Amino acid sequence: MQLGFLVDLHLCMGCKGCEIACKVENEVPLSTWRLRVKYVDVGTFPETKRTFTPLRCNHCENAPCERICPVSALHYLDNGIVNIDKERCIGCAGCVMACPYGAIYIDPETQTADKCTYCAHRIASSLMPACVVACPVEANIFGDLDDAASNISRYMQSRTDVQVRKPEKGTNPRHYYVGASQVHLNPLASKREEGYTLFNKLTHLPVGGQH
Amino acid sequence: MAAHEILAATNAVVTLDVALPGIVWPWLVTVNMWAKSIGTGIIFMLFMLLKMYPDQAGKLRFPVTVVSIVFIHIFLLFTLADLHQPFRMWHIFFHPHWTSAITVGAWMATAFVGLLFVLAYLSFIKKDNVAFDKLLTWIVLLAIPVTLYTAALMSQSTARELWQMPTESAQMVFAALLAGSAFMILLGGSKLNYEAKKTLGTVLGLSALMSFILYMSEYVFGPMKAEEVAFVLEYIKGDGPYTVMFWLGQWIAYILPMLLIVLSRASRSENLLKLAAILALAGLWLVKHVWLIIPQLLPMS
Repeated sequence: MQLGFLVDLHLCMGCKGCEIACKVENEVPLSTWRLRVKYVDVGTFPETKRTFTPLRCNHCENAPCERICPVSALHYLDNGIVNIDKERCIGCAGCVMACPYGAIYIDPETQTADKCTYCAHRIASSLMPACVVACPVEANIFGDLDDAASNISRYMQSRTDVQVRKPEKGTNPRHYYVGASQVHLNPLASKREEGYTLFNKLTHLPVGGQH
Repeated sequence: MAAHEILAATNAVVTLDVALPGIVWPWLVTVNMWAKSIGTGIIFMLFMLLKMYPDQAGKLRFPVTVVSIVFIHIFLLFTLADLHQPFRMWHIFFHPHWTSAITVGAWMATAFVGLLFVLAYLSFIKKDNVAFDKLLTWIVLLAIPVTLYTAALMSQSTARELWQMPTESAQMVFAALLAGSAFMILLGGSKLNYEAKKTLGTVLGLSALMSFILYMSEYVFGPMKAEEVAFVLEYIKGDGPYTVMFWLGQWIAYILPMLLIVLSRASRSENLLKLAAILALAGLWLVKHVWLIIPQLLPMS
């Protein structure tokens, strides 16, 4: 079994239900996120369009975070999930440096690395990840990539525009997007100016409350 | 329309997102790399001097061992200080993950420290120069991977392409030679004659020259095509936030020491050599710091 995730961006409406469900399910501390939905506005007024991109760990087949972790705190599960053992983690932040997707953060409460685990604890109880359950439009499709009859496999077979983020990194992500453009997948394809935007202030945070 | 203007159709602005993490590996890691360069570099220099000037360098066996022990401990201390869970450091020894350059480096550095203490015992208590020199050869061999492993670690940081230049290993070796020769010039005092110091000056000057050429080739004149590298290098170009620090580092670590070494040869001035050494050591910190920080400013998602 190799679990994977697909987000159909044609369906996503940026409600952030997945983001909140993840926060609640995994008790993610303030100022940190395992899953987030990024809004990017494209075009110039009045010809504009708003894009929504849910961003989470890509559970790479060739995960740089797993390779660089000095104590195997980051490790593969048999189902392909890249899991994290917070009791083992020494907080070196090597994984934060290695992840090309910015998906790992230092938990300010435990001072250890943390990230999306595809809700491995729920999977173990035959439940879907919290974000999948919360999505009102079923934009999140989760399942076994090894099973040709699974929802995710059939979805991928029926589409020609399935993409991953940063394929050139050679990480072989198991997180896919349908209907994505450069603006969705490439952080350098959009401007990110610090300051107040729609509802909040874009800024940078001190890492883990230390240093 | 100016070339840098953004077309309306491609104008894309992030309008709602979370705050991104700031600098994850801060100045503590710069000190780590800087101190390691001195700790291993001075061992290389002792080995070289013992081959070329055995009569003079013999008096430096114990002082150099102490300096290496001190700086390797500074390196280890700052490594520990940078951990968010420093009291779990022992996990590296009891739960090692051998694909990680951090693990391999920690084990090698630990072995290196152990052997340095044996050197100290041989030079200070047993006073056995023959055994010291034999062991030193093996320690020099170990010092090479201890110097290089940081390049391997950085190359495992897949997200930061600037750290993955093929020349980073060479930069690490040049940094060790530069720092080792600079510190040895200062440590040599009256124990080394001018000829020995001139040799150290040559090593310092050539290391500075090679490092400078690599930085200029890659950062300034090299037409970087990878999008992420080009984006990162904007931080040291034009009015970028790290432009001043980058050029200060290049001048203080490389250009001025090279000039001073040439002048010291013309005037046989040891003071100019010492000034070059001090500048090289100070500048190396700046150079390493800029190299460490700018890739971390790249937005990953």
